[in-house]
Amino acid sequence: MNDSNPLSPEKRAELVAYVDGELDETATQEMERVLAESAEARHEVDMLGRTFALLDTLPRPGASDEFTAKTLATLKAEQAALPWPQRTWYRNVRRGAIAAAWLVGLALSASLGYYAANRLAPRGNTEMIRELPVIENLDAYSDVSDIRFLRELKQQPVFDDDKPNPPN
Amino acid sequence: MTTELQRVGSSSTSQLRYLRDPDVQLMLRTKAGDEAAFQELVNNYQNRLIAVFFHLVHDQEAAEDLAQEAFLRIYRSRHTYQPTAKFSTWMFRIAGNLASNSRRSKGRRREVPLNIRDSGPLGHRPEEKMIAEKSGMMPGRQLDRNEVQSVVQAALNELSDRQRMALLLHKFEGMSYADIGESMEMSAAAVKSLLSRARENLRERLEKYVR
Repeated sequence: MNDSNPLSPEKRAELVAYVDGELDETATQEMERVLAESAEARHEVDMLGRTFALLDTLPRPGASDEFTAKTLATLKAEQAALPWPQRTWYRNVRRGAIAAAWLVGLALSASLGYYAANRLAPRGNTEMIRELPVIENLDAYSDVSDIRFLRELKQQPVFDDDKPNPPN
Repeated sequence: MTTELQRVGSSSTSQLRYLRDPDVQLMLRTKAGDEAAFQELVNNYQNRLIAVFFHLVHDQEAAEDLAQEAFLRIYRSRHTYQPTAKFSTWMFRIAGNLASNSRRSKGRRREVPLNIRDSGPLGHRPEEKMIAEKSGMMPGRQLDRNEVQSVVQAALNELSDRQRMALLLHKFEGMSYADIGESMEMSAAAVKSLLSRARENLRERLEKYVR
């Protein structure tokens, strides 16, 4: 760029971005080289900066004293006018109720599962414990052919401790 | 609150960087039902919002009404809020949309603010013209602060709505091109071009006052 060539819109945009500190390092160096060579570019940067600085003279009116209170009151009035499903407290209560229902459901499921596992489903150990006396005497029972023989044997006085043994 | 942060954090890593913004934290607390957090947001941003709106609509009362509506919209949208941008960027996006809607509802009528003292038997005249005439009659005359303000305000009013909004966000809010782009839903390159045209227009209108 030299002073005989007017600034293109692209170069002007680059100049503005340079003034605003929005160019990367390479583009900044390139712009500084251009500025060193072009009086027009330097004048442009100067004018851009000075006219932009004039915006500092603009008033910046703030909020009136009652703005916060008025805004919050409007918000509360709006909330009060809302149907129940859209109110904050209703949403919180509903959310809590749903969470509580889930917890109760989970606890019930767990209890039912425990009961079913303990009471309804057959357990191998229970049966073994019930049959323990048989298991303990399994060898003796194996020697007996059947139950009728045992009953007949029981009726024989030979195992009756109160009666004297018959003479051989 | 912690659960909310954990949920947000796990849902998107891109959101994590915005969680460091204290105003994003306030908005998340508002989402969790903390009304004191929302009041803090109102206190933090009311002056900034009103200042921007004032230069868009040229009326203090209208600016306050728009700012109030912006805060109400923010509060209404708390349930669906996700920290996908800095809070200020998100808020000024809402403000920009609100200002556009307001202008549309007024039929895009351009208003030139005038002081009572400018009225005369011949009716109102734009301030810029009056000051230029006064200055022309007295070469070398220094404009006082009020006159400079009027000239600058008139120059600002001559910009398009989008140029003005971008310029106000850049000047008053110190926003980067990227943040302005997010607020105005345009690319950083488009912001660069928009601000360049705005600054050039401003320079053309105000150059004679800074020589």
